[in-house]
This record gives sequence, C-alpha cells and structure tokens, in this order.
Amino acid sequence: MMTGRWLFLTVLCWLLTGMSTSAWAATNHSALLAAFCATDGNKATALEQFVEAGVSDETQDQAWARLIVDAIRNSALVCNSSGLVTIQGTPPLDAATLKTAANSNPGDSPYVPSIVMMRKLMVASAEIDLFSGQRDTRADAARQVDKSFALLDPAIITKAIKRERDPDIASVLTLAMAKRGLGSNNRADRLAAIKAVAEVPSETARTALANFVAQDSVRSDPEVLAAVQSAIAKIDTSLSFGRAFSILFSGLSYAGVLLLTALGLSIVFGLMGVINLAHGEFIMIGAYSTYLVERFMQAHMPGLFDAYIFVAIPVAFVISAVCGMLLEFFVIRFLYRRPLETLLATWAVSIALIKLVQVLFGSQNVEFVTPGFLNGGMQVSPGFFVTYNRVFAIVLALLIFLATFAVVRLTKLGLLMRATTQLRDMARCLGVAAERVDRLAFGLGAGLAGLAGVVLTQIASVNPSMGTGFVVDSFMVVVLGGAGSLLGTVVSSLALGEINQFIEPFYGAVAAKVAVLLLIVLIIQKRPQGLFALKTRV
Amino acid sequence: MTTLPETAARRNWTLSAFLSKWMEIGIVPVLILVAAYLPFAYFAIPEASALHMSLFGINLIGQIMCFALLALALDLVWGYAGILSLGHGIFFGIGGYLMAIYLLNSAYAETNVLPDFIQYMGTGGFPTVWKIFSRLDVTVLITIVFTALVAGVFGFVTFRSRINGVYLSIITQALTYALMLLLFINDVGLGGNNGMTGFTNIAGLRIAGVSTQIGLAVCSCVVLVVAYVGVRYLAHSSLGRALIAVRDDEARMRFLGYRTHTLKLIAWCLSAVIAALAGMLYVPQVGIVNPTIVSPQLSVEIAVWVAIGGRGTLIGAIAGAILVNGLKFWLSSQLPEVWPFILAGVTLVIVVAFGNGVWGTLKAAGEEANR
Repeated sequence: MMTGRWLFLTVLCWLLTGMSTSAWAATNHSALLAAFCATDGNKATALEQFVEAGVSDETQDQAWARLIVDAIRNSALVCNSSGLVTIQGTPPLDAATLKTAANSNPGDSPYVPSIVMMRKLMVASAEIDLFSGQRDTRADAARQVDKSFALLDPAIITKAIKRERDPDIASVLTLAMAKRGLGSNNRADRLAAIKAVAEVPSETARTALANFVAQDSVRSDPEVLAAVQSAIAKIDTSLSFGRAFSILFSGLSYAGVLLLTALGLSIVFGLMGVINLAHGEFIMIGAYSTYLVERFMQAHMPGLFDAYIFVAIPVAFVISAVCGMLLEFFVIRFLYRRPLETLLATWAVSIALIKLVQVLFGSQNVEFVTPGFLNGGMQVSPGFFVTYNRVFAIVLALLIFLATFAVVRLTKLGLLMRATTQLRDMARCLGVAAERVDRLAFGLGAGLAGLAGVVLTQIASVNPSMGTGFVVDSFMVVVLGGAGSLLGTVVSSLALGEINQFIEPFYGAVAAKVAVLLLIVLIIQKRPQGLFALKTRV
Repeated sequence: MTTLPETAARRNWTLSAFLSKWMEIGIVPVLILVAAYLPFAYFAIPEASALHMSLFGINLIGQIMCFALLALALDLVWGYAGILSLGHGIFFGIGGYLMAIYLLNSAYAETNVLPDFIQYMGTGGFPTVWKIFSRLDVTVLITIVFTALVAGVFGFVTFRSRINGVYLSIITQALTYALMLLLFINDVGLGGNNGMTGFTNIAGLRIAGVSTQIGLAVCSCVVLVVAYVGVRYLAHSSLGRALIAVRDDEARMRFLGYRTHTLKLIAWCLSAVIAALAGMLYVPQVGIVNPTIVSPQLSVEIAVWVAIGGRGTLIGAIAGAILVNGLKFWLSSQLPEVWPFILAGVTLVIVVAFGNGVWGTLKAAGEEANR
C-alpha cells in the first residue's frame, strides 16, 4: 500500500518537473543504485547516499529515496545479474526510473538486509522522515532517531535541527546528537555534547548524563567530570522548577473542583446554617447528567459530539439544581434550627441517591470519550506538561466562580441572599420571602456542585460514590474559609488544593489529609469562624 | 361528669410513668435475662424447639449488643452534652485493633506461625511494642487508658477552642476518614486492606469454640448493662444536669462560672472508653478487624441509630441500635438491594417528622396527655 502511494506521488512529481531534471536525476539515481549493488561496494556508505538524496530540497529525489529505502527494508530490491536494479512487484519497476522494467530476470533474488543493516535502514528511513511536511511523522522519526542515536548521521541531523520549527522535536534531536557525542572518544566532542545536553533539560537528558558519568573513562578525566556535574546540576535546577510548576498546576486544577464544590456548600451553610451531607451526590448527579448528554449526542448528533461538554454545563446545572430544590422542599425546610439532624437527614438522602444510581447505571466507573480539543497537552518547560483537560477545569472553575460572584453581588436574588444571611429576622420583617430565598440558594449550591461534576468527568473517574470523598475536603474548605464568604472559599480552596498536591507526592494522600486537618484545627484555634468570617448579627 | 377525665388522666399518667421510669429501669433485668437465656437457649433447649437459638443467632445478638454499647456511648455525648461526634468509629476502631493485636499475640504463642501480613513486612516478628499486649487484662487496661488519652487530647484541643456544633461533627468525620485511609496502607503494619484475622484463642479458650462465643455474647450483654447503669447514674447526677445545661446554653453556663469544656471533656472521654470497649468485644466475635470499622459510614450510622431511637434517653439509643441492626441483618440477607432505601426512608421520616426519635416521641406523647 505504502509503496503504491509513493509510486503515485513519484509519477506525479515526474510529470510536473521538467524532463531535463528528470534525465539528470535518473542518471544520478542509477549511479547510486549501482554503487549499492556493486559486489565489492560498502552497502552502508551507499545507504548514506540514498539518505542524502532523500533529504535534498528536490521533492522528487526525496520521494525516490523514500521508495528505495522502503524497498530495501522490505527485501524488495533486486540487483539483477544484467546490471539492472528493479523493485519487485507486479509489474516489476526499474529502480532508477520507476518505470515498468523492460526485462527482469525472475531467477535473481532480492537483497535481504542483515540485522545490522536493518537498524541502519530504520535510522535512514527515520532521517528521511525528519524532512517530511507532517509534524507527527517528524516527531515519530525524531523518537526513532533518538532510540538508535549511535547510528545517526550528524550532518543530516544538524540540517534537520536547523530546519525544525517545532521546539519539542528539535530538542529530541539535539539530545540524540549529544548522546552520540558523549559516546565519542574525542574530548572536545564530549565537552561539546555535555554542553548541548545541558541546553535541552529533561528526565531522559539527565539519565543520559548519569549513565555517562558512571563510566570509568569519564571519572578519570577531571575536566569532563566537572563539566558533567555542572550540567547535571543545571538540569536538576531546571527540572525541579518544572516539577514545582506541575505540582502547582495540578493543585490548581484540584482547587478548581474544590472551589466549585465548596462554593455551593458555603453559600448554603452561611445562609441557613445547614450542613448538606448529600452535597457530594449533587456532584455525582452532575457527572451522570454529563454522561447522559454524551450518550445522547453520540447517538443523535455525532457531528457535534465534541461540543457535548458545553451542552452538559447547563443541563447538569439545571438537573442538580432541581434535585437540590426538591431536597430543600421535602426535607431541609422542616429542619431549620436543628442543624445536627439535618446532617443525618441529608446523609440518608445521600445513601439513597448512591444506591439509586447504582441500580440505574451499575456501580462500576462509566467511561467518557474525551472531546478532541481536550485531548493531549503542551510541554511548557522541562518536566512541566500541561494537559488541556486540566486547563479546561481551571478555566471553567474560574468562569463559574465569576458568574456566581456576579449573581451574589449584582442580582436581586444575591442581594436578598446576603440580607438573609446577615440577619434573617430583620430581612423577613422587611418583606424578604426568606423561604423562597433559601430554596433558590439551595438550588444554586446544588447546581454549582453539578458543574463540579461536569469538570470531574474530564479529570477523574465517575462512579456512584465519587462524591463522598470530595465532600469531606469541601467541608474542610468551608470550615477554613468561613461559611458564606466567597473570598474565603476561593482562598481556602486554593490553599487546601495546593497543600494537598504538594504533600501528596512526597508523603502520600493520608499525610496530606492529616496535615490539612491539623492545619485547620490550629487555625480554628485563632479564628473559630474561619479565615474570612462574615459579620453576622444573630 | 367528673369521673371521665380523671380516669383518662390516670391512664396517661401510667403510660408516661411506665415509659420514663419502669422501662428505663426495667431494661436492666430484661438484658440480664437475655444474657442468662443465651447459653440456656443453645445447650438446654432442644433444637426442634422454636426457643432454641443457633450459634449464628447468638453471635448476632452479641454483635448487636456491641452496637448498642456504641449507641449508648454516642448518646452520652450527643444527647447529654450536645456534641454530635461523627467519629466514634475511631474509638471503636482503637478498641478493635488493640484487641486484635492481643489476639494475634496469643495466636502466635499457640501456633508459632506469624500472620501473612507480618511475613510480608519482612521484619521477622511482631513489632516490639506489641509485646505489651500479651495478656488480656493488661490489654483491656491499656486500651482504656490509651483511648481516654487520645480522646482527652482531641477533646482538650477542640473544646478549649470552642469548636462545636456542625464544625465539630465535620472535623470528627474528617478525622475518621483520615484514620481509615491510614489503616488501609499496608506499611502501617496493621494488616492494611485485609485487616487482621487468624485468631485462635482468647485468654486460653478456643475462640471458635461454642462456649467461648456464647460467653462473649453474654459478656457483651453484661458490659452493656453495667455501662447503661453507670451512664444513667451519671446522667441523673449533678454532672448530668450540668451537661444538659451545657447542651442547651453553653454560653450561659460559662457566664455562670462553670468550666464547660471540662464538663464536656469528662463526658467525651467516658464515651470514648465505652466505644473502645464495644470494639474490644466486637472483634473476637466477628473474628476479623479491618479498616471498614473506622469508615465514616459506620460512624454516621451510629448517630442514625441514636436519632431513630431517640437521643438523650439512653434506652432509646440502645433500642435504636438493636432495632436498626436487627432489621439490617434480617433484611440484608433477604433483600440486599432494598436495605439502603429502607434505612434512608426510616431515617428521613424519623428525623423530619419525629425529631425526638421513637422513644422520645412516645415519652413526649405520654407527658403531653398527662398535662
């Protein structure tokens, strides 16, 4: 198949370019092939010639070399006894002109490359690919070259690096070159290579240097040793910055989800003094709403499938908010002034909801197809890889927080909510329908949790009991930040999210939880109502 | 004309008095009777009789008694001091795990085979600290002291900084969660995920033996009775009245010169010790201890038992635990899918409509009619 496509391209190129070039090229091609086929010839040197043709600026030569190298790899190149070189197939082709070969001798067998030659061919093929127009092809080729760096052709790689626009691929190639340089016996080459490695810091670069420094020949040379050690130190600094940034980043995305969960909790707690243990289940409801939207879009509008995540945002919000208001209407409003009993009632609701979803959807994780634009990520700096789904989580959390802030600060509902939070009885005297405000606020809080569920579908697993783990952390946010304070919720979810992610990689999740708890108990000693306590008059 | 209301009043007076006085005292002989009946029901009554009890049933009663003990412990702090702890599983777990350590020690002394998880740890033996737990009486003593110490430190810090109400509930729940995660880790050396099992004997008796299991069930009943009498005495003493006052208006009690946090601390530590005793009785009866006994789930459930039975009544808490767990054991074998819905439904109805629980509502009805 591959060969067919290349053949077609070659013919096309040949038609487009003039006959004169083609005539020269054909002669040149047959000379190269002859060198390859010569019995006393060095096959490896001839291969280098092919690659040189393959990386020239002539599109036609490139395509030809690609074809020949592939033919050799597939054991399809036949050096006929008549001196003609053909590529096996129906019909057989003249390897120099790529036209149907006039007289092929069926008795001649193709050249079968040895294992050593196979590796060289692989590198040769990759080297030609480095000059391809496709980014992915080049990236694959660069990885291939890096894997067998000992065999690469420095002139060609240098040329490829100069041409390369993508910094990732360029750094892979630079590292491959440098690794080859480290293997050299020449001291100047080694020093240059060490310097080059230090320019492209990454885990692999560090490993390469660490392996290098383990050699006796390196240890005995103080100048090289010093250079390596300073290079390793330089890479370490750069990597630890990267690591710090990536921890910061994952902490930020965790904080985003915490923020969405805790905002609703905080509003409800501040307003009604009610702790809702079923809050985590609204996250779960939001996530399962997203799941339903995803299924629906896949079945009925596959063209718009990637947009399901945006469709899910309002859907999940509304479904969770309605569930929240129903909970308020049927349970919570009977339990005002009995906060401890509310805790138990909402716990009962939460186990019923979990069981219900288990019965409806099964207790295993549901699988999501990530929208195309959230796949993958970006290497920002060495050791710091930003995934798009986490960026999405952070941005969405930020936008939703701003929207909530606007609702609380700018709308009438927000005004009534704040009035009721501050002084319920006075607000009622002034004609605020506190019960209605409560219900709407509860709906808002549940809806926000539902949105957290939407975000979580992209960064965590979704199952009926997904909410329970989160809700403990969100309560900690509310306790630390102060109930009802938006600013407090932001600051404390950021703090807790980051602390969690900073401690977790080194001491484990348990230590992170315990540290957070201790911190909170200590802070509460000084500020019993949380960091940003609202001034309420009760 | 005049006789009618009188008789009504007299009848209601009897109901109220019956509930609040006779039943609250009467539960003691009832529980003692149950304890006495258990060995009798197994050994003396022929199997064909309806009054005969299988070992499974007796074991179940023993476990339920442990849960009742837990409920009693929680009712002391929640019903009387107004502290809703969602972390009593921690103390239950401390008792359970320390008992398991003792049981493993005695199993090793008998069989000379180390449990799997210790072998995986590669230490070649039990940790040195475990040697303290080689005798049952010492283990019980240490557990009581250790639990009181842990509860004391936590209580001192939280009560002194005036963390109460839902804040305290949340923090205790988070602590339970953290402890459970900790116990799930294999490197902690307490069996990790699989927990600790493989017990062979307790104080020289075969643990799987019929008489040992019946003895443990009887022991659970007896400890429940003793704890109930003790707590009820305390609740009706001046300390109990002070605790109720703290529950209802802590600020005023403080202004009156009471050290409210000391009062709460006493109730808290006592409650923790009772919960630990429940754990110590529970583990040899189920034959295993694993991190699920400190799951936040169980700790909330304890509060649910108390709420259903009626908090602040002691007897209600015990009745709630017995009712809910009896129902749970019965229904989870019959209709495992439906049990969570029933538990949720019952909890909701009781909490929303009958805030005082079953016992509290009955009592209030009696008092209301009496008026």
